[in-house]
Amino acid sequence: MRRIKMPQMIVEIASAVFKKPFTFQYPFTKPKVPEGLRGRQIFHPERCISCGLCARDCPAEAIEMVEVSGKKMPLIHLDSCIFCYICVENCPRNALTESTFYELASTNKESLALRPEKPESEGEATEGE
Amino acid sequence: MNPNIFFRILVFPGFLFLFVLILFCDWFERKIMARMQNRMGPSYTGPFGILQPLADYIKLLTKEDIIPHHARQFLFSLTPIISFSIFMLSIFCFPLDGINVFSNYGFEGDLLFVLALVTFAHFFLFLSGWSSSNPYSGIGAVRILMQFIGYDIPLIISAIGPAFLAGSLSLAKIASMQTIPFALLTPWTFILFLVALQAELEEDPFDVPHAETEIVAGYGTEFSGRKLAFIRLAKDTQIVFGAVLTATLFLGGPYGPVFSAPPSLWFTIYFVLKVLFVIALLEFVEAICARLRIDHVVRGNWRMITPAALLSVILTVLSAPYIRLFMGAPI
Amino acid sequence: MKEIAIEEEIIGTLEGMLGESVLGSKSPRPRRVYIHVKPAAHKRAISALLQAFPSTIISTITGIDLGETIEINYHFWCGKAEVTIRTNLSKSKPEIETITDIVPGASLYEREVHDLLGVKFANHPNLTRLLLPESWPENSYPLRKDWNPKQTGEIHDSSEETLTIGETRTESNGGSLVNVIVGPQHPALHEPERFLFKLDGEVVVDVEPRLGYAHRGIEKAAEHLMFFQDVHLVERVCGICNVAHTTCFCQAVEALGEIEIPSRAKYLRTIVHEFNRIHSHLLLLGIAGLEIGFESLFQYLWRDRETVLDLTEKLTGNRVMAEYSTIGGVRRDLTPILGDEIKKKLQKIRDRLSFYKEVFQSDPTIELRTKGIGVLSEEKALKLCVVGPVARGSGVKSDVRKHDPYAAYEDAPFKEILYKDGDSWSRLMVRLEEVGESIEIITWAVDNIPSGPYRIRVPRRMPRGESLSRVEAPRGELIHYVKGNGTAYPERVKIRSPTLANIISFREMIRGCYVADIPAVLASLDPCFSCTDRMVFVDEKNGRRWIWSMNDLKARRRDS
Repeated sequence: MRRIKMPQMIVEIASAVFKKPFTFQYPFTKPKVPEGLRGRQIFHPERCISCGLCARDCPAEAIEMVEVSGKKMPLIHLDSCIFCYICVENCPRNALTESTFYELASTNKESLALRPEKPESEGEATEGE
Repeated sequence: MNPNIFFRILVFPGFLFLFVLILFCDWFERKIMARMQNRMGPSYTGPFGILQPLADYIKLLTKEDIIPHHARQFLFSLTPIISFSIFMLSIFCFPLDGINVFSNYGFEGDLLFVLALVTFAHFFLFLSGWSSSNPYSGIGAVRILMQFIGYDIPLIISAIGPAFLAGSLSLAKIASMQTIPFALLTPWTFILFLVALQAELEEDPFDVPHAETEIVAGYGTEFSGRKLAFIRLAKDTQIVFGAVLTATLFLGGPYGPVFSAPPSLWFTIYFVLKVLFVIALLEFVEAICARLRIDHVVRGNWRMITPAALLSVILTVLSAPYIRLFMGAPI
Repeated sequence: MKEIAIEEEIIGTLEGMLGESVLGSKSPRPRRVYIHVKPAAHKRAISALLQAFPSTIISTITGIDLGETIEINYHFWCGKAEVTIRTNLSKSKPEIETITDIVPGASLYEREVHDLLGVKFANHPNLTRLLLPESWPENSYPLRKDWNPKQTGEIHDSSEETLTIGETRTESNGGSLVNVIVGPQHPALHEPERFLFKLDGEVVVDVEPRLGYAHRGIEKAAEHLMFFQDVHLVERVCGICNVAHTTCFCQAVEALGEIEIPSRAKYLRTIVHEFNRIHSHLLLLGIAGLEIGFESLFQYLWRDRETVLDLTEKLTGNRVMAEYSTIGGVRRDLTPILGDEIKKKLQKIRDRLSFYKEVFQSDPTIELRTKGIGVLSEEKALKLCVVGPVARGSGVKSDVRKHDPYAAYEDAPFKEILYKDGDSWSRLMVRLEEVGESIEIITWAVDNIPSGPYRIRVPRRMPRGESLSRVEAPRGELIHYVKGNGTAYPERVKIRSPTLANIISFREMIRGCYVADIPAVLASLDPCFSCTDRMVFVDEKNGRRWIWSMNDLKARRRDS
């Protein structure tokens, strides 16, 4: 029953001890992120025309039109958002654009929203991180 | 009696030293296994993750300790601690820094004493699973019994080989007789001993008693909090015990060339290095094998390993005079 | 043309055998035939179909609430075309004869229609609930159009139906069997499912799977979202085979709206589809290794799978949920630089494949744990209508890419992998070799991709009609049946994922095996339970009636 084991697997395992590991320490070494990654959206309030198309088309019903200084603007609830970017594609004025920011983990729900009055620029972390 | 016996029992080379050694071996085991699988292993807690096992135990101590309603409460609470203690006690009998903890050279026959103690400890592990009254624990406990009873026989038979070569059953004598390690002189016994040891320690390929994917966690399913910490400590102590036994019987124990006084420092260093070497070897076997089914394990034992162990002892006895001549010891 | 002749031939044969029981027939697209029969004549029609085409397997049974009547569609794949035999039942008394005596593979589908629409199948051997929990109120059928979540009846006490773990029941023939429950939470399962095993010592005598723990209500929810939003909902049926679901759904809607997508889009869909297949197969082989205790193999396979996930991320924007296909094409294009990178990295995976093949073929412990274990013979596989690598491991030819080509598969050069033995090892080897074939397809597609647009704009409204689309998901044949009613919302979306077809075969495979073989056989079956259950969810707290709608869920999440 215990015959000689297949050599390749043994060689592979023995030599793996001397190779660099495939995993790396995440918060200290960040992975290289491709530019097409669908991260948090960026909102440009000056371009918004309050048509409400983004809120109507969102499959996850994650966008809510809120009143900001007299105009209706989208508030994106990032905890419901599925990052499908239908809102980005369908916006007629390109008021929502893409970014590759993905570190959205947070300890309070309040910070998990993209508010139109304070559109965070790319790369800024959400509060509570 | 040595005046500082309490120091020896409690601190060095006693309880505290062994505790640190067990944690270190746990870290080493995980790190080497991770490297063999091309990943990092523990790295975040402390430099190179060396504090990871300690962090795990502290975490376990802070968790809720649940006793299931139908479990036998007395046995359930006591068996983890007893198994851990017995394993620890059996390591005390080894000459860790040249002389064993109780500061004599052991007694004739302490090899058998140690093996008997370990059988007891395994029995208590079985009891811990049995008293949990959970079908998964029950199946795991029964498998442990089947496995260690079966493989205890080739283990003991293979352990007789070095005893025969050294001419005594005292661990200190066996260790000190090895000018050339017995692993090189009687490699057949060494390999069989490792196989039987792997089965005793329930590592892959003999992982059956706590095969996670089949019966959750085997005998340890119902434990949580402090009791789980003890069960895991018992498991780690078991591995260190196995490595210590192998190092003493086959690799020459703590003895080796001494470069400066005090000799016990060097003996300890050699001992730890040999223990780590054995652990690395066991982890290597674990990494390259899948898990065998229980009927394969049992059948393999009675049809292959035990007869092979008997044959190896016969071979050792027959070649003993020549080996002793080679070693330069009196026949 | 040869294709039209096949459909005409099928219609002609069945009309000839059934005479005036046939109320209507049509063949709107190549390889799709719909036949409408009188209410009691469905069994005769199905027997006629089986007689004319002996290798017919049932795909699924769809029930649709049409207001006054309930329409039952029996979908069969007869080797050359997908034949749907439909009949109407009155809603006040929906009863129909079962077909499980002639088609044993239909038992789970009939139970599903019974559970969700309330149709009684007379003489079914085990007409119990399939997806909804035992305590679901009577007379409350979620898929009916007039079902209101707020008005369901009382939840009844199901405690007498629950089983205790480890109880022993004496059987009538004198022996005693122990019941062991595996699941819903168990380390061997990656998604919750409950299996009730009847053991005689360490040997498994029988198993009863109980599905429905990951039931989420996707088919019902799909009726409340527009078609292009449904693409994203349908994708979340399963994380591992998500590209198959989007491709299938988009194809179904495009067939419904008679939209022809550009061929560049077809090739791009093929590429992502094959990436999904490679990643799923590598995942499964790793899991199979883990189940048998070979952790190193698991780590190595998943390390190589990372390459595929990174490539998918570069192409589609996401590692797992690709969200790449949409109605009318795909959402992003493939640049030549990315194409070269894809080919280079796939070459490395191809080299690793030969290493894995050697491991699987010659490692003694893998052989011990998987060869000869969990055998499913070819005739059983045909009778139980299994699909995918499970069928191909038993020697049954069933690859949708070859027999019912879609996207760019008509021209793609690849082989259908068949193994004859039908044991766990064959199923794993089928998947391993399919990874190699997928690499060939992707390389061919990247080299031969036609230029042109990759997406066309489509209207939101789809015309009245129905369509059925089949793709080869990594686990087998996946079917989406979409019915439109002229608005932007679908009338009915029916999804039948491959694991539902394969789960019946688990019983056949596991009989006579040891308990220790259960995870290994289950892993070779590759169950994806989140694909299998996708219907309405119910929450019961303290026995009180408590059902949440989407708004309740959202409100609750905002507050906490």
